[in-house]
Amino acid sequence: MRVLFYGVALAGGLLAAEDAAGAGRKIEQQSCIQCHGLRLVHSQRLSRQAWNREIDKMIRWGAVVRDREALLEYLTTNFGDDKPVPAPELSADGSGRK
Amino acid sequence: MADFLDLFSRRRWLRAAAPLVAALASARAQVGNSLVIPGKRPLLVHNDFPEDAETPLAHFRTWLTPNDVFFLRQHLPRPEVDTSAWRLQVTGKVTRELRLSLDELRKLPRHTVPATLECTGNGRGFFRPRVSGIQWGRGAIGNAEWSGPRLSDVLKLAGADLRAPMVEFDGADRGVAATPDFIRSMPTSKGLHPATLLALDMNGQPMPELHGAPCRLIVPGWDGTSWVKWLVRISVTERPHDGFYMNPAYRIPKYPVPPGASAPPSSLEVIEGMPVKSIIAAPLEDARLPFGPVRVSGVAWAGEQAVEQVEVSVDGGSRWSNATLSSPKLPFAWRLWEFEWKPAERGYYTVMSRARDSAGRVQPIQPSWNPSGYLWNGIDRVGVTVGERG
Repeated sequence: MRVLFYGVALAGGLLAAEDAAGAGRKIEQQSCIQCHGLRLVHSQRLSRQAWNREIDKMIRWGAVVRDREALLEYLTTNFGDDKPVPAPELSADGSGRK
Repeated sequence: MADFLDLFSRRRWLRAAAPLVAALASARAQVGNSLVIPGKRPLLVHNDFPEDAETPLAHFRTWLTPNDVFFLRQHLPRPEVDTSAWRLQVTGKVTRELRLSLDELRKLPRHTVPATLECTGNGRGFFRPRVSGIQWGRGAIGNAEWSGPRLSDVLKLAGADLRAPMVEFDGADRGVAATPDFIRSMPTSKGLHPATLLALDMNGQPMPELHGAPCRLIVPGWDGTSWVKWLVRISVTERPHDGFYMNPAYRIPKYPVPPGASAPPSSLEVIEGMPVKSIIAAPLEDARLPFGPVRVSGVAWAGEQAVEQVEVSVDGGSRWSNATLSSPKLPFAWRLWEFEWKPAERGYYTVMSRARDSAGRVQPIQPSWNPSGYLWNGIDRVGVTVGERG
């Protein structure tokens, strides 16, 4: 019975975390892509304080952020300065195009 | 019947299917992970929109960087410019306001300047602690021949008051939402320098859209931020422009601060000019090389100065040897260098390069950390393994 209880609690917790990440991702979509691609955000690894400053700057520049806390949490968790910076991706050949 | 069979012959089928295959391939390139930048061979992408991408090191083997691999740094979405309707306004402290067409600019005396263009934040990814902004590696740089009239000729045509201390530049790009407009200013003295151009051509081709067509300001020896793209207005003014891209952006502390420290805006100054720097283009970081001679090569540049010397160390900076410089010694333009290294033994080596310029400046071991991560010019280094393990 106890095992079942902890199992349900754990699953609930995971779902809640997943939900929070999903919420953060959704807010990022709504707030950022009017002006720039998300690669600009996802290619950086910053402290919570630095992400906080970036959000402030972007709000000053007109970004509408519906849930600031969720966005900050999402950025810090997924793109925190404890993680390595990813190597930039190579684009495909576009030399023949206008 | 023969015709019918012929229709299905392999060659005919391939020819007929070629456009479809190409369309599918391009659709896949767009839908899949990777993106395509029109007019560009593969670049290392930091942002899709607007495009920010650096040049892979393999291209730093020619003195002129081809337009189709030249790095991209855009603050704001690229504007749509109708070249026939486009005019360059010259205003402010002038006796004759001008609205110059592209044809009128093309009729002015044309000058060509080879100059290295480097993003102010090139190498930001090497700073520790990390700072926010595009995490550029080595490749936000290129060298090109820029052609067009001198800014000084256009200022004189407008009867500009040359005692006015500043000239201001605005491009056709506009900020989305409340993002500030990209406007820059610089001292009139630099504006009157004979190498400061209103470039209409890049490496002998009309200025590409991505690089500021039809007219881009060329400020040889100064950081890329000064090289305003898609120019539409030049104003002669009494005061420096005070918008975001002049203040607080693109400034560094007047006096170096401890790594990670904040610097109040009043302690910052505008960046003018660029430091001395070299990079190793080959071999690449973490390369595994066969046992035998290794050709170490790269480029070196020095803002408004010329590169005098590049030295290479293969023992972590203990002993240094002269590299061979192969391009002309010029201010503003980079030089290619190479060094023939014959490793005595197999093993792991730290290979380094350091440049010295005509003003005696030398690349430092530790560049000054600054809150926005500008002007990285540390001695370059790559780790390589020579020969088989054991």
